[in-house]
Amino acid sequence: MYQYNEVDQQLVNERVEQYRDQTRRYLAGELSEDDFLALRLMNGLYVQRHAPMLRVAGPYGMYNSTQLRKLAHIARTYDKGYAHFTTRTNIQFNWPKLEEVPDILAELASVQMHAIQTSGNCIRNTTTDQFAGVIEDEIEDPRPYCEIIRQWSSLHPEFAYLPRKFKIAVSASPTDRAATQVHDIGLHIVKNEAGEVGFEVLVGGGLGRTPVIGKQIRPFLAKEDLLSYLEAIVRVYNLNGRRDNKYKARIKILVQSMGIDQFRELVDAEWEQIRDTDLKLPSTEIDRVKTFFTPFEYDQTAKDDTTLEQKLVEDDAFRTWYERNTVNHKVTGYRITYISLKPYLKPAGDVTDQQLDLIADLADKYSFGEIRATHNQNLVLADVKNSELYAVWQILTDANLARPNIGTLTDMTVCPGGDFCALANAKTLGIADQINRKFEDMDYVHDLGDLKLNMSGCINACSHHHVGHIGILGVDKKGEDWYQITLGGDDGSNAALGKVMGKSVASDEVADTLQKVIEVYVENRFENERFIDTFQRIGMAPFKEYVYAPAN
Amino acid sequence: MPLLINREVVADNWSLLNEESFAPEATLSSGDIIVPYALYLEHKARLAEHNGQIALQVNGDDDLTELQENLDQFPMIAIDFPIFRDGRGFSIARILVRAGYKGEIRATGDIGRDRLAYMERCGFTAIQVADDQFKPEMLDAFGEISNFYQSATDNIRAVYHQ
Repeated sequence: MYQYNEVDQQLVNERVEQYRDQTRRYLAGELSEDDFLALRLMNGLYVQRHAPMLRVAGPYGMYNSTQLRKLAHIARTYDKGYAHFTTRTNIQFNWPKLEEVPDILAELASVQMHAIQTSGNCIRNTTTDQFAGVIEDEIEDPRPYCEIIRQWSSLHPEFAYLPRKFKIAVSASPTDRAATQVHDIGLHIVKNEAGEVGFEVLVGGGLGRTPVIGKQIRPFLAKEDLLSYLEAIVRVYNLNGRRDNKYKARIKILVQSMGIDQFRELVDAEWEQIRDTDLKLPSTEIDRVKTFFTPFEYDQTAKDDTTLEQKLVEDDAFRTWYERNTVNHKVTGYRITYISLKPYLKPAGDVTDQQLDLIADLADKYSFGEIRATHNQNLVLADVKNSELYAVWQILTDANLARPNIGTLTDMTVCPGGDFCALANAKTLGIADQINRKFEDMDYVHDLGDLKLNMSGCINACSHHHVGHIGILGVDKKGEDWYQITLGGDDGSNAALGKVMGKSVASDEVADTLQKVIEVYVENRFENERFIDTFQRIGMAPFKEYVYAPAN
Repeated sequence: MPLLINREVVADNWSLLNEESFAPEATLSSGDIIVPYALYLEHKARLAEHNGQIALQVNGDDDLTELQENLDQFPMIAIDFPIFRDGRGFSIARILVRAGYKGEIRATGDIGRDRLAYMERCGFTAIQVADDQFKPEMLDAFGEISNFYQSATDNIRAVYHQ
């Protein structure tokens, strides 16, 4: 994992003092509400329905145990004892006091963390595959490039006031686990015919009010050109993106309106001017950053373990968890292990201070002290020995972190919705509970297999409902919460946007409606066919017909 | 309006013209003037008679292709920030510097304290702050962050070349 040097540390320290002074001036009445708004947004502080909300950056999802303990401490000391992991692999505090935020930022800086550019119209936290560095099918570890992008984009003087927010995701495997096709820029680490590793570049993807799948702007970009090419794209966007309407200000609208070919021409013309400047990334720098992500010293004897096989035979509950919540590691004898933040009847992505402390301890003892966050709001211990999985499972189970539901219907991605968010049109948490109650039978849920369910409380789509196999969108109808259901979305390698199934349903009918959707799937599926594949094969009509059939 | 150059408040001898300045009955003010680019194009003939220096004020809506070839004619280009959310001026400044422009690059418009350091880094050599936005302690803003990752128009070397 990346470790700060003096430059990094000084920057975040100075940033804390800068913000402390801004807060002081605001509280003293020297800064207007509007002026302070711009400044606090640059530091991840929103004002929400009940209280301010502070969003802390988790760079490309990487956390260490020291940081988790600090987050636990912050949750206990400055908040109500819990925090919330987001779909950008950041972590949010929902109840900080505005006047204490500078102290929280100082606490964060002491463990190499910050809240810089977690909101505002700037380049946000770069995200990547939660299996980076430990998955077999990866071409190269994407994290060094994420770190290089993090540094280049942090406090970039030219790009702090873009037309709208800007998100970059990097993926390095044929299987896209970072939703790169629905990002402003998606980078795929690829190998060209000459065997060189570089980037395929996509641009103009995004969700929100106008969901769009990103388009390829460049099939292959050499590593040394990464920053100059990104800078060219963002400059063209900064100068040409719409600023008259915030709903049409994302880069996807610009790319759509001028067409990818014309957009590419503008970018290439700009790139010509800058590609041979000092934006050219020296291979020495790539190598330097790579040293922070070298593989751990894995135990060569781990593959000789026989206890795991035995436990799998003996303990059904453990086996269920193992099958659902752990993944093949590239090193034999290790497993990638999920920590489910989707317990029964609790908000998705929430963790308590005690859970954070416990996860930190687990990471130290069993997984080289590192933790990753996923864009589906779960956590991952990336390097757990087979022989220790049973112990990890027992501890997670006691802490309500081992629900064996990763990738299933109850592994829902859900925004905080109308209970917390000032933007929401409808509540989401109660609906998630309703679905959890309806689909409580885990055997049934496992039988349904991989099923991605995303629910957003408004059209801003923070929970990416467009790319859920099943998407639920809360809408307001004359003061009542209603829910529109979409089917067929996907944020993986075959990214697709879900289509609206039909008229929206009332709040007490959501789970029953889902049940009907699921019945159509079960009725029609081939053996081992996933929901999304069945949907693509049979189309919307059978679902629509059954769900909206008049009651007899 | 206070004008900041080299992080200090200095005297300003320029006056900014607007549409009214060019009304048929009006006489153009003498001395050094800043003329919005659109008005400059419209009133080129009248401005040819002007006794004093002429600078241009541009913004993100102006097409600057032609201007880039004649930059040297102008001792100053002012880049306007009509509202603080409009960040196009940062890119325009960098493009002017890249085009080899050696005159003053001045920021005008909605300019708050938090943008001063960014402006300096993007190549602005003068920053004009509205009276109601100016406070002397604003000058502290330049030094609040002393380390940068990326190179910009300043001479700072990117962290990866250090």
